[in-house]
Amino acid sequence: MARKFRVWVADRFGWNPFRRNVLDRRVAKTPWYYGDGATLTFLLGVLVITGIAMTFTYTPSPDAAYESVRHITDRQRLGWFVRGLHYWSAGLMMVMLMWHVLRQILVAGYKFPREGTWLIGVVLFVLVTVMSFTGYVLRWDERAIHGMRVALQTFGRIPLIGEELVLLIQGDSQPGGRLLTRIFAVHVIVVPILIFLFVTWHVYLVILHGVTSKGERKHLTHTAEQQKREYKAQAKDEEKGETFYPDTVIQSGAMGLIVLGIAVVLVFVSGPGSLMPEANLVERSFPAEEWWWWWYSALIALLPEWIASWFIVVFPLAVLLGLIMLPLVDRGPERGMRKRPIVVALVCVIIVGIVGLSGLRLRSPWTGWPVAEALPLPAGLTLNADAERGRQLFARQGCASCHSVAGHGGRQVAVDLARLPELRSHAGLMQYIRQPPVGVAMPAYEGWATDEEIARLADYVLAAQTFPRQR
Amino acid sequence: MERRNFLGWVTKIGGAAATAVVAGPAVVTTLSPALERREPRWASVGQVVEFPHGQVRNAIVEVPREDRARSLRHRGVFVLRSAEGELTVFSRTCTDLGCPVTWDPGSGWFFCPCHGGIFDREGTPRAGPPKRPLYRYATRIESGVLWIDLNSLPPMA
Repeated sequence: MARKFRVWVADRFGWNPFRRNVLDRRVAKTPWYYGDGATLTFLLGVLVITGIAMTFTYTPSPDAAYESVRHITDRQRLGWFVRGLHYWSAGLMMVMLMWHVLRQILVAGYKFPREGTWLIGVVLFVLVTVMSFTGYVLRWDERAIHGMRVALQTFGRIPLIGEELVLLIQGDSQPGGRLLTRIFAVHVIVVPILIFLFVTWHVYLVILHGVTSKGERKHLTHTAEQQKREYKAQAKDEEKGETFYPDTVIQSGAMGLIVLGIAVVLVFVSGPGSLMPEANLVERSFPAEEWWWWWYSALIALLPEWIASWFIVVFPLAVLLGLIMLPLVDRGPERGMRKRPIVVALVCVIIVGIVGLSGLRLRSPWTGWPVAEALPLPAGLTLNADAERGRQLFARQGCASCHSVAGHGGRQVAVDLARLPELRSHAGLMQYIRQPPVGVAMPAYEGWATDEEIARLADYVLAAQTFPRQR
Repeated sequence: MERRNFLGWVTKIGGAAATAVVAGPAVVTTLSPALERREPRWASVGQVVEFPHGQVRNAIVEVPREDRARSLRHRGVFVLRSAEGELTVFSRTCTDLGCPVTWDPGSGWFFCPCHGGIFDREGTPRAGPPKRPLYRYATRIESGVLWIDLNSLPPMA
């Protein structure tokens, strides 16, 4: 009876073709790190579940959005965990996405007959990138609004239609409620539907054309048909192939579970992404992008001037165009890494670039910023009354907004006083402070500070350039 | 085959017509903010006498808007009054990538927190990536009150 019922269900609900073509299908054996695609799908599931849970509380109105995020995090039972998991899964998704794309480039996953799989993947790459950005705008804190305005500035640079695009995204000539509503629609409705569609398509193509395998790197083929036969032979082989369920599922599922474990640990260690003060266009603010964008921020800060103005528009387009063109340009039969040095070098440059630039973003004192307190004196040192007054003025007159003093505080965009390239007399220093030479990015204090104040500043500089260096 | 071909075309044209009737208006209404003409939107910055000669002051303007939202209702701007009394109103938006610049009253320069843009008190870029001077609003003085036209700048400024 029970058996009869099972057979009925399997037949009427279409289970049998699914089992035959998906679960019981033979696939080529792959190493553990091929679990990245399954991990991405797995993280997508985590993001959908935690995301839906938050939409029951989140309010997409500029008056209530920030409070509703705080409510989820601070007052709702386990809300901190759900939002934390959403946040860390999103970050890890960006990492796994890079992994996935770069691995496919290394193992020639874009070559025949899988060009379609790759191109659908490119669409997903764009969609996930949009999600990684719109997600933090919904928090509606200072990071959100200022990050959004950086994105709008980028769109505004696009020739001819820039301003119209900004108006379209912003929904108004001024940033306000409609901006948030639109971001919400994109993050919660439009892009998730598209991601669902394209992931389904992507996975369908993976089932149809298989994934890259060891054998195909050794036995070169010259047409898509030969390649398909080669893959099928491997999949059927007792040694080189395996059955998708449970063999492949266990292996790639393990990677997904490990990454989920990392996300959970990160939630417990550092909690959900921190909130800055509520979005506003009034308060002094020092916003910073989320960590998965550090490399990009460092890149655009370091660009030479002649390239910077068009780079922020051309770079994303060039990346996109490069990804689209890759399977159309590189059509040779070689799939091993040794025979494709250019591609391997490119991947290395990308990895080193991203890691290196992210590190720079953390270490560099990018900019001047007002410093409220007078800089501390090195231990055991005292100043005479004139230089001491100069030390107070050094912060008050904004010198410390750019200069550090032998590593004892102050911002570090201008030269450290203990490392002045040439030493000047008291009169020379006063003259320099009054009217810096042409081309030096320092304000002229002539008329901004009194002569007496400038003299005291010079006293302090004379003393400070002899301070012992720290660090 | 003739008949099949004909019916194929009927299906395609019918489908396209139905899509156009539904998706067309949906797309147009979504695009409409980009298609509207932008009228001047004047907002008061404050009494002219509040701004001392030769100094830069923070000012907060209330954005006239339909959605009545509290957050983002106010915008900070910087008002420079030259020694001769001429008034200039700068947007806080950095001309590099739109981060909010801050006024350092000590040095009398503006700093951008994102990528190191630095502007002097006239709004001229002095260091970092920005090449354009700070955005200046169109201004108007009416019976001692300073007004700016928020729509005189690009929508992302």
